[in-house]
Amino acid sequence: MAAAMLPSRNPRIALPYVVPALAMLAAVILLPGIYVFWLSFHASSFGQSPVYVGLANYAKILADPYFWRALKNTVIVVLAVVHIELLLGLGVALLFAHGLPFRKLLIACVLAPYAVSEVGAVVMWRTMFDPEAGLVTRWLTGLGMTPLEWSVVPMHGLFLVALLSIWLHLPFSFIILYAARLSIPKDLYEAARVDGATAWQCFRRITLPLLMPAILIAMLFRYIFAYRLFSEVWLLTGGGPARQTEVVAIYLYLEAFRYNNFGAATATGWLMVLTSLALALVYLRKLYREMLARDS
Amino acid sequence: MTADRSLALRRVLAGIGRAVALGFVLLWSVGPIALIIMAAFTPEKEIFSVARRGNWQPTLENFVSLWAKWGDFFVGLANSLIVTLGATLLAVAVSTLAGFGYSRWKSRFLAGSAFAMIALRLLPPIVTTLPLFPIVNAFGLNDTYLVLILLYATFFVSMGTMVMRTFIDQIPRELDEAAMMDGASSLQILRRVVLPLCGQGMIAVAIFVIVYAWNEFLFAFIFTTKQAKTAPLVMSEMIGSLDGVEWGVLFAATTVHLLPVLVFVVLCQRHLIEGLTAGATKG
Repeated sequence: MAAAMLPSRNPRIALPYVVPALAMLAAVILLPGIYVFWLSFHASSFGQSPVYVGLANYAKILADPYFWRALKNTVIVVLAVVHIELLLGLGVALLFAHGLPFRKLLIACVLAPYAVSEVGAVVMWRTMFDPEAGLVTRWLTGLGMTPLEWSVVPMHGLFLVALLSIWLHLPFSFIILYAARLSIPKDLYEAARVDGATAWQCFRRITLPLLMPAILIAMLFRYIFAYRLFSEVWLLTGGGPARQTEVVAIYLYLEAFRYNNFGAATATGWLMVLTSLALALVYLRKLYREMLARDS
Repeated sequence: MTADRSLALRRVLAGIGRAVALGFVLLWSVGPIALIIMAAFTPEKEIFSVARRGNWQPTLENFVSLWAKWGDFFVGLANSLIVTLGATLLAVAVSTLAGFGYSRWKSRFLAGSAFAMIALRLLPPIVTTLPLFPIVNAFGLNDTYLVLILLYATFFVSMGTMVMRTFIDQIPRELDEAAMMDGASSLQILRRVVLPLCGQGMIAVAIFVIVYAWNEFLFAFIFTTKQAKTAPLVMSEMIGSLDGVEWGVLFAATTVHLLPVLVFVVLCQRHLIEGLTAGATKG
């Protein structure tokens, strides 16, 4: 009661504390984002003054087959990576939730790829899939299968990109799902067992529905982050052969920094922003309501 | 009787199934890392030879040639260290201040700006490089530590703030109020009440920034060329020399770059999990 009367509850006092964070975000993300939006309606290059061209930049990329290929590749890789990764993450989370000896050590093993850089992961997977001497290549030929020709066949290249992406990010999905699984009360399972439920019924009726919010959150975040995919592709195939494994971020980079099509790059950039926000819309709406409920 | 036996059999089968699954999980997670670290200690000539099993003699020769031929890599490591420390200090400091602000005061502006923070974090980093590149050049900041520190810290400030808010929310407000009654200012409350109790959160934020800044490739690739080049960038140059990749040296570099942060992640496992569940998916 008395606290509400104290001048220290005045929200203006909070300003100096939150302003540094907001200023950094404004300077590094917000203002550049708005500037990209403005630039996407202009023809310009580094060091040239921009000329208004309306939607010409957008028309240009939408008519560019390389853009569409990059978009298609991105969609394929993102869909594959996110869904397979979540399935694996769910499987590992349930395996661990069942109770294991040396749990801490084993969790450390599952988390290990989180410490690996994108460059390091590319070195590892490239080596294992080396067309001549790679360990996996030798296994595959030993089993009578055709090894991956990732540097020649575009789909093979994208497959390897997806594989190493899943490897690199599985720890994230695992932790989210594992923490969510641990927070399900044990009584629910005990009650179900008393009623004679099978393991499958427990999974369908208890685990899955109660994990759904965490699964959706993890999926959303992985969509947004997988969509940014750049380094893995850049370091593995460079977008080649013949620009066939480009993803949207690679397309943007090449247009801006190699082909000097700044307009096309800014239009691509703004399309990336819009799609990211569209993906996040459901989440942001829910969050907005929660925050207003909490803070006002 | 038969029912009992089939139940026991199913238990055994389930146990075997879990053990096999666990084996695959470990092979998948640790296999690629172990392979590269072992290869780093294998003589260059034998790395890809099929018939080397049995008498594996660890050697340091790859590390010696890394030292001799790629002085750049060690400069890169030093640069990575400076950038990582700078970004971590900046991000933790700014996130703690903001987390305190958002935890202890409420208003429409605060709610709206917290929301904007989270929304901004969802924008793809590569988009901001387009306008930043000419601006950074104009200020002569290209190829400096400062630009990387600022970029790395900023991309973790919103998550850091949400993590810190979650941790500071758990500190009882009665403590603040007691201090307030004694006439403490908000800054004094932060210093005497909140800071001593939110170390866990600061560690969690620090872990995320450290791992990110130490490993980051895209910004380093675009904004550094020579002076401030970080270790991952030098490693990418080693891969890039397509016709003559010295695999042994590359594996040695990968190992040197990976090991410290790997040990760190394993040691800080608990904080990592706490941090992720406290706010990674909120901000």
